[in-house]
Amino acid sequence: MENNPLQLTVSEFVALTNQTLEYAYPTVTVIGEVTEFRVSQGKWVSFKLKDAGAVVGCFLVLSQLRMQIEDGMKLMVVANPRLNNKGFFSLNVRAMKPVGEGSIKKGFELLKAKLEAEGLFAPERKRRLPRVPQHVALVTSTESAAYADFCKIINERWGGLSVEVAHTQVQGVPAPDQMIRAIRYFNSLEVLPEVLVIVRGGGSAEDLMAFNDEPLARAIAESRIPTLVGVGHEVDNSLADMVADVRAATPTNAAEILVPDRNEIIRSAHQQAKSLSYQLIQAIDEYSARTKEQLNAAFRRIQEKLDEHFERLATLRLATAQLNPENILRRGYAFLRGEVKVGETVEIETINSIAKAEVKDVRAK
Amino acid sequence: MSEQNKTTKDKSVQEKLSELSELVVWFQSPAFKLEAAFDKFKQAELLAEEIEKDLTKLKNDIKVVKKKFDTEE
Repeated sequence: MENNPLQLTVSEFVALTNQTLEYAYPTVTVIGEVTEFRVSQGKWVSFKLKDAGAVVGCFLVLSQLRMQIEDGMKLMVVANPRLNNKGFFSLNVRAMKPVGEGSIKKGFELLKAKLEAEGLFAPERKRRLPRVPQHVALVTSTESAAYADFCKIINERWGGLSVEVAHTQVQGVPAPDQMIRAIRYFNSLEVLPEVLVIVRGGGSAEDLMAFNDEPLARAIAESRIPTLVGVGHEVDNSLADMVADVRAATPTNAAEILVPDRNEIIRSAHQQAKSLSYQLIQAIDEYSARTKEQLNAAFRRIQEKLDEHFERLATLRLATAQLNPENILRRGYAFLRGEVKVGETVEIETINSIAKAEVKDVRAK
Repeated sequence: MSEQNKTTKDKSVQEKLSELSELVVWFQSPAFKLEAAFDKFKQAELLAEEIEKDLTKLKNDIKVVKKKFDTEE
């Protein structure tokens, strides 16, 4: 006892230990398997990390929990070591991430199930993107190949687009918060962009883990601007994809979904104009055919009237012919011209001759 | 400038595409009149030409915003 000059109260000892820890190990990164995970009073999260030889307690507030965890998962935590006033040593967790394929997958499935149960992936929540947007917001790393690909494709396909780009990290611990700030920035603009695009190229499951962050998924789901997310390769699925209004398989695919191909639009415009010429020719043909048919009908009617008149004329001709005096002469009768008085000369006309004769006698009949 | 007074050159590509679609619809509607169809067809051809010209020359404006997102402001 005499060899140790330092005498402290318990409180002083705890304070000194914490000062020493803060000086020597302000932040530590510890990897271990989760055990005894629990949430208390809907506010506090505690669990232990263990390995084959030791166990250490971990603590954080629920609002800092960005992923779903359960016993058995392997985690890497970034934490401040602390000795509390009750003499318990713990790690105050600042950040954490699952380690190893199994744990990453497990964390993903747990959070997916939670968000799905809340209806965040429901098809009825999905909004349609404008066919041809004019003002677009893009969240990505401007140093990435995905950004270069995205710009190349939209420039090839379309023009007249105003794109505002928020440069953020797209992997690592700071990435989700940076993307969330960018999403909130665009959603706070006085004139909202018509589409919010988030893109990132391919990578390992760990590289893409930022897109399985719960607050980021919620920020995308809450965006007032319709969202289009293209992360990784076609086979990669992230929670950011699932909550987005439209999922693109890749950043290139996001550009293809965002804007139409100008060459296709040009072809389509000419095709539409050309189709009108066919319709116009068809309409003229139909109009001509109808006019021709009407003219034919008119001619038929005129012809019918003419036929009727000709028939009537023929009847009249026949009747008239029957009244012809020559026909009477042919039947053997004769015309007598002159005054029928005794001593007068009269003219007698037959079919073949005209004779003159003197009236010798007149008697009443 | 009011929408009605806009000449074809003042309209955006989107407006021209909509106008072309309206012409196509008119050709298939009961409002179709042969007397007016030729003028409308010429109008459609002009629109298609202008859409091609506009789309060929238009460039995108891509700007990186100055705001930094690495820390909460």
